Amino acid sequence: MHRQIQTVAVLGASGTVGSLSGGILAQNGLNVYYLSRTKEGSQKGLSRAVKQARSEAIASRITCGDYNTLFEKACSEADWILECVAEDMAVKKAMYEKVDAIRRKDAIVSSVTSSLPLEELPQGRSDSFRANFLSTHFYNPPGKMLACEVTGQSQTDPALVDFMIEYLGQKLRRVVIPVKPAAAFAGNRLAFLLFARITELVRQFGVEMMDYLIGPYTGRLLPPLATIDLVGLDIHKAILLSLQTYTQDAMHNKLVIPAYIDTMIAAGRLGNKTRANGGFFKKLDSGQFLYYDPASEDYIPGYGPRIQFVEKAKNQIRIGLYRQAFDGILQASGTEARIVHEILATYIAYAYSLIGQVTDEKYGIEGIDKVMSSGFHWACPSLLVNMIGGAEKAVELVQSADLAVPQTLRTDTAWKKYYFNAGKYFIAG
Amino acid sequence: MNSNVFLLGGFQTDFARNWAREKKHISAMIRETYEGSLECTKIRPADISAAFVGNFAAELYCMQGHLGAFFVELDPAFKGLPTCRYEAACASGGVAALSAMAHIQAGLYDCVAVVGVEQMKTVDSARGGDFLGTAAWYERESKGVEFPFPKLFGKLGDEYDKRYGLKAEHLARIAEINYANARRNPNAQTRDWYMSYDHACGTGQYNPAISGRIKVTDCSQVTDGAAIIYMASEKYAADYAHRCGISLDALPRVLGWGNTTAPIEFAVKVEDSKNDPYVLPWTRKAITDAMQRAGLDSCWQLSAIETHDCFTTSEYMAIDHFGLTEPGKSWQAVEQGIIALGGRLPINPSGGLIGCGHPVGATGVRQLLDAYKQTTGSAWDYQVPNARRVATLNLGGSATTNVVFIIGFNS
Repeated sequence: MHRQIQTVAVLGASGTVGSLSGGILAQNGLNVYYLSRTKEGSQKGLSRAVKQARSEAIASRITCGDYNTLFEKACSEADWILECVAEDMAVKKAMYEKVDAIRRKDAIVSSVTSSLPLEELPQGRSDSFRANFLSTHFYNPPGKMLACEVTGQSQTDPALVDFMIEYLGQKLRRVVIPVKPAAAFAGNRLAFLLFARITELVRQFGVEMMDYLIGPYTGRLLPPLATIDLVGLDIHKAILLSLQTYTQDAMHNKLVIPAYIDTMIAAGRLGNKTRANGGFFKKLDSGQFLYYDPASEDYIPGYGPRIQFVEKAKNQIRIGLYRQAFDGILQASGTEARIVHEILATYIAYAYSLIGQVTDEKYGIEGIDKVMSSGFHWACPSLLVNMIGGAEKAVELVQSADLAVPQTLRTDTAWKKYYFNAGKYFIAG
Repeated sequence: MNSNVFLLGGFQTDFARNWAREKKHISAMIRETYEGSLECTKIRPADISAAFVGNFAAELYCMQGHLGAFFVELDPAFKGLPTCRYEAACASGGVAALSAMAHIQAGLYDCVAVVGVEQMKTVDSARGGDFLGTAAWYERESKGVEFPFPKLFGKLGDEYDKRYGLKAEHLARIAEINYANARRNPNAQTRDWYMSYDHACGTGQYNPAISGRIKVTDCSQVTDGAAIIYMASEKYAADYAHRCGISLDALPRVLGWGNTTAPIEFAVKVEDSKNDPYVLPWTRKAITDAMQRAGLDSCWQLSAIETHDCFTTSEYMAIDHFGLTEPGKSWQAVEQGIIALGGRLPINPSGGLIGCGHPVGATGVRQLLDAYKQTTGSAWDYQVPNARRVATLNLGGSATTNVVFIIGFNS
């Protein structure tokens, strides 16, 4: 398919996702319109894009405006209209109706949504709109997280999907993961299931202990509850609701939203975006951290948990002995060790079970590997299989956690490759 | 050359990593590099007869000296192995490689590991800048000076300007080319950073002047990283080639080398060169010595150069010192696209220090590894087509220590 993209209109450019994704387009030489409800909002987005690029030079490629004054010009000129408005079906559909009336018939329209049903979004729009409509799910912040999931809906021109996969990879330097149009696609579906299980365990073990046990030493940049604070508890809940509604698989019963999450949201304790109110964590002016206690619905001081097998694993990771660290984790016993085993097992088992469900079977675990490492900076599932000693050991781990073993875990051989620079996923803290 | 010394490949870490943020000890970096190198080269640990470790200042950055000993920690079979740490500021990797080569030529060892390593993100930029100042004459050139090296290499630009004229646009173009090349290198520190000619030309919040004409975009950045290259005698290389199912002729070797040490103070260097067409004659001599030893008449017999662009001014200097232009006319090679990937003689296809990164003690080894990759056709998307000979220039201090290698094939 021969297409040229020179001009892009970003709708919802005042938000973080819109402004930073649009910034990546400008950084790669495209002319970008930033549109939002107010010009001031778009300009705020531009400032964010400049900060991401660490260069004022990209500002010359970005034109800011609002929906009243610049929408028609921008959407009629655009080769690609990138929609990043609120995650609300009605809001998006109303926006598409306006776009459809103005856009060129060959203009691409993509949404950054991963949680709303893609099939429903373009309903009622023109044939050319539906043929040119797809999802390009950028991860946040796109300057650091390069993953981008791409999929069409039933009426998307398959050649357009192929074109965008190549374009996003080659021109925009994204790590592209072709996915099926299933709710939350690959990355969020896997990550938020784990988050759900961890929030459930919080009731028993507390916030501090859960983030300590499933900390960066297990192969992630941020501990899980700190990640939810970064995402926002409201978004966390919205994604889980979407998964509860639109997915059905063997782990569906793990998609829980404990009641205390609703209590926190009602109290405006959403995480980093409500710093004064806190989230799972609250940072005092003194620098001290407090931890949310679901029982008292208040914050409590930390006690600095130290578990022997965790400390030993961190010490080994500090000097580069990653496999030895995982040997120790697997050999550890006791309640805390069982929790770590269960989370590792759930991650591996669920990831492999998604092969064929959210990514094409022909990619094996590769697509899910890519999105977890480039979208979350987590050790990818096959790397963890490698670290714990191979598929056979992984099967034992999954079985010991009373989880079903996906056949693909037994047959996929990606874990056998050498993982250069794998140590970057294992933090000794 | 007395006897042939072959390069068998190696490994470098991803220079975008921040090992302090990973809360790692410097030994983790050495271990990952070593383990990666075994995978890349299939060298048998038992065949390694010595290790030469280049490092500038781990005592300052990491409170850890005696880095040679950490090679022995990598494998129980290494207990008793001869190892040594080499230091010549930013040329620490280069002098480690020179020593490794000399030991092989003396017949002492058949297969040795040359490691370059530096962890620098352990301290803030002001403190790091002060540590780097020890690569100059600290009391005279660095003490109490904020960021002494941008100032010293700014003076190199000033000297060019005084003698021949120097335009900022040519330095900006050098930065742009290095960043563009780095985007092709999966191990480059800046591979995902934004850069454009306009940005490099501009001055502002995100590209402030550090010292005089030197702006942020003219500088290599603080980098954590390590690299290993294996060097071998002809006897070992022949066995290795046989084991790998390749011809000995397919393995690049050291064709030539040059090594000079200039007076440490930059002002003395410049004073000494006032009647010389070359601003840094000791750097020029290291280059011509290497060319002579390699039997090369001209730089145009090279396929590429990996040079020490700690600042854009040092690459500007390298262009005429290698002979791409007459002295003082480096701008011609910049304007004509000669040094860009795809040009007649690409400089820093890896991205160099500005694009790929500059973990000080690792740089000389990383350059040799890139020379190996280029001459064996394994440099991914930054491959120079049909590269046969690649020169490396590794500088220590303000071009005080100069180490040049020419790697590749004679015919």
